[in-house]
Amino acid sequence: MKLNFKLGGALAVALLAGTMLGHSASAQTLTMGLRAGPDSIDPHWSTLGSQAEALRHIFDTVVMADENLQLKPGLATSWKPVDDTTWEFKIREGVKFHDGSELTAEDVKFSIDRIPVVTGPMSMTIYTKQVKETKAVDKYTLHVITKAPAPTLPNDFVRLFVVSKSVGMEARNEQFNSGKAAIGTGPYKFVSWEPKGDLVLERFDGYWGEKPHWQKVVRKEIPNDPARMAALKSGQVDLVNYVPATDYAAMQKDKAVDTFIADTVYFMNITPNVKEALPKPAKVDGKEITENPLRDAKVREALDLAIDRKTLVRVVLEGLGRPANQLMPTNFFGGSKNLPERPYNVQKAKELLAAAGYPKGFELDFFCTNNRLPGDAAVCEALSQMWARAGLKINANALNGTVFFPAQQKGEFPMWMSGWGTLTGEASYTYGSLVHTADPKTGLGAFNKQSYSNPEVDALLEEGARTMDDTKRRALFEKVTDISMNDRALIPTVQLQTVWAAKKGMMTVPPRVDQETLAYEIKPKS
Amino acid sequence: MIGFLIQRILQALLVIVAMSVIVFLGVYAIGNPIDVMIDPASDQALREALIHRYGLDLPLIQQYFVFMNNMLHGDLGESFIYRLPVLSLIFSRFPATLELALCAMLIATCLGIPLGLWAGYKPDALSSKAIMAFSVLGFSVPTFWVGLLLIMTFAVELGWLPSGGRGPTANVLGMNLSVTSLEGLSYIILPALNLALFKLGLLIRLTRAGTVEVMSSDYVRFARAQGLSEGKVVGLHVLKNISIPIVTVFGLELGSTLAFAVVTETVFNWPGMGKLIIDSITVLDRPVMVAYLILVVFLFVLINLAVDLIYGQLDPRIRVKASS
Repeated sequence: MKLNFKLGGALAVALLAGTMLGHSASAQTLTMGLRAGPDSIDPHWSTLGSQAEALRHIFDTVVMADENLQLKPGLATSWKPVDDTTWEFKIREGVKFHDGSELTAEDVKFSIDRIPVVTGPMSMTIYTKQVKETKAVDKYTLHVITKAPAPTLPNDFVRLFVVSKSVGMEARNEQFNSGKAAIGTGPYKFVSWEPKGDLVLERFDGYWGEKPHWQKVVRKEIPNDPARMAALKSGQVDLVNYVPATDYAAMQKDKAVDTFIADTVYFMNITPNVKEALPKPAKVDGKEITENPLRDAKVREALDLAIDRKTLVRVVLEGLGRPANQLMPTNFFGGSKNLPERPYNVQKAKELLAAAGYPKGFELDFFCTNNRLPGDAAVCEALSQMWARAGLKINANALNGTVFFPAQQKGEFPMWMSGWGTLTGEASYTYGSLVHTADPKTGLGAFNKQSYSNPEVDALLEEGARTMDDTKRRALFEKVTDISMNDRALIPTVQLQTVWAAKKGMMTVPPRVDQETLAYEIKPKS
Repeated sequence: MIGFLIQRILQALLVIVAMSVIVFLGVYAIGNPIDVMIDPASDQALREALIHRYGLDLPLIQQYFVFMNNMLHGDLGESFIYRLPVLSLIFSRFPATLELALCAMLIATCLGIPLGLWAGYKPDALSSKAIMAFSVLGFSVPTFWVGLLLIMTFAVELGWLPSGGRGPTANVLGMNLSVTSLEGLSYIILPALNLALFKLGLLIRLTRAGTVEVMSSDYVRFARAQGLSEGKVVGLHVLKNISIPIVTVFGLELGSTLAFAVVTETVFNWPGMGKLIIDSITVLDRPVMVAYLILVVFLFVLINLAVDLIYGQLDPRIRVKASS
């Protein structure tokens, strides 16, 4: 027993020494504790946001997006439409892959051709579905022929990662995960990765762009919020993303950390189902009614007026958000600057309900997720209380996303709230999917499960999809935003904000609306 | 003996079939995995194409038979999410969970049995009462919260141990283990302690109850009358006679620790199987769910088998019955 005690003591001392050693990493190393990571190192496998975020370090895209998701040159230095169905991309000269070979238009063509062959259930073909064929005209010129006029093709190519043609059509996830095929042109080289584990990267000195500061980057996946925050506080990681609102309040007072806040593309929107008959009928005085009250524009306006967005932001989201009046930031392509801030007026809401024939209100089920966005369930509950003030009995049901999404697809909800992020930075992505009449033939309205249908909006969206001129198209989409928002096809509620936290004085994290944490954009604090 | 083994294997097969049916029905009741995974920018045609590609448009019974047929040929399928064979995906994470579970069981056993013996040997002593109070805490305080407390105390405030993750690993017998180095050990201490707490409480109470009962039995009195030292009385007669329930619980707990250490793995970001299964459930990655649960059934059958064999060693009466 005595011996064991001594051994234990020695062990403890040695362990301490061991951890101290582990912590003293070089100044050029950046260890990030992030909420999510890739599902594969193959950049064409999945459209998952955290997949793109991680793989941007290794692979470059043809077109790049700045911190506000507006387009900037990437591996293509310029692009222009040659005719209605042909885009010409000029490929950057002198770009080297990690294996030393040179990038040509053939590699880009290969990458586009490869996507339908290898992509998984989160299919990347959504970014190439407009492409009919590609032609490498010369070493640095690529022609992309589209099935129809495709003004948004450059936006789609923000997610078009370029892999080296030398990996061959046979390479799959195994070859990429092992590093054999993980050959990109990006600022960092692949070192190692395993699913849900650490992604280790090393700076690529032959990078064509600005040389990143950090020599080595370790991207740790820590999905659990308290665990991630503890990893920062204990010094195990230098930087964390998705700081929860409660921790943000405490961290602002903490002298050991810096915090960085940014607006995001994620908006919480309420969708009223406007089908002839609701999947589950509304009730007045406890009795089911046959008509759908949500079809009445006055009722939708009343729902809107009863929402106190400032309180939602201040109390429920603890300050990490902004009141919203449309489905995406106003500075995005097609965002509207004409729309006013949405007023809060319970009295008027009651009057509108009475005018619509519901002086005593009605009862309705309302659904949302409880694990997809920060505060989703809390916002949902708060909304139900706000509507109660206007005399409505809205039963809030917060469900796990795994249960919510299939049921939403099947159209089982009378009204729901969900998050939506305009990840391409332009309006047709959002409005084409959410407010255009559902039409499997054109592929528009794929997520319009509320059966909203407005011929004027449809016509404007379809015209926009054919219009190659940016100024004209922008005006068309602004009109779509105005009409559908005044119609309350969806009721925008709040725009979310996001927070990063880092070791005091170590770095500056540039805010990005897509919430991506990119090691090569993070500069040391001077 | 062989008849006994065959019987056990048949039982296991039956449970596996039942399990796979339940998982298939369960996933089917929740909905289509594609609806959970699909990108919001996809159109209707793409959704249909994907559902078709993964065979999710077939009648459920047909999907099930395709799966069973593949399984009989040794192919448990590929994960929807990673497109890696599910077996290699699960086994790549098995060593992490195995070493965590074994460390936790080691802590629980090495502390739990001596403490329980003491508490049962001297039930009225103040120290025994303290031990019993601690054991109540052990299984009444939520693991999640204790984990966070451990992190806050030892990693954030004192800075002695890392807050999570797994340390450097070395290849031992084909498995990547982290317990072989001191730095690796420093990573496993907190999660193992966290995981051990509940089992520790359980083992203390179980050992104490057995000891109290056995201490008043005739053979202990005779042993004492024989003039045997107290150490021998407790170590030989008492311990052996209370060991059957302890081994049973040990086996069950080992199984459940290996299979469902989810909470601890989440709090400490331990890259084990528990996290894999939870992630798979949230995206309805059916191949991983089915394969994992089948392996869990196997695991429990194996552990129960080992427990039964150990019974025989501990208690000759059981051995006699088995052979007759």
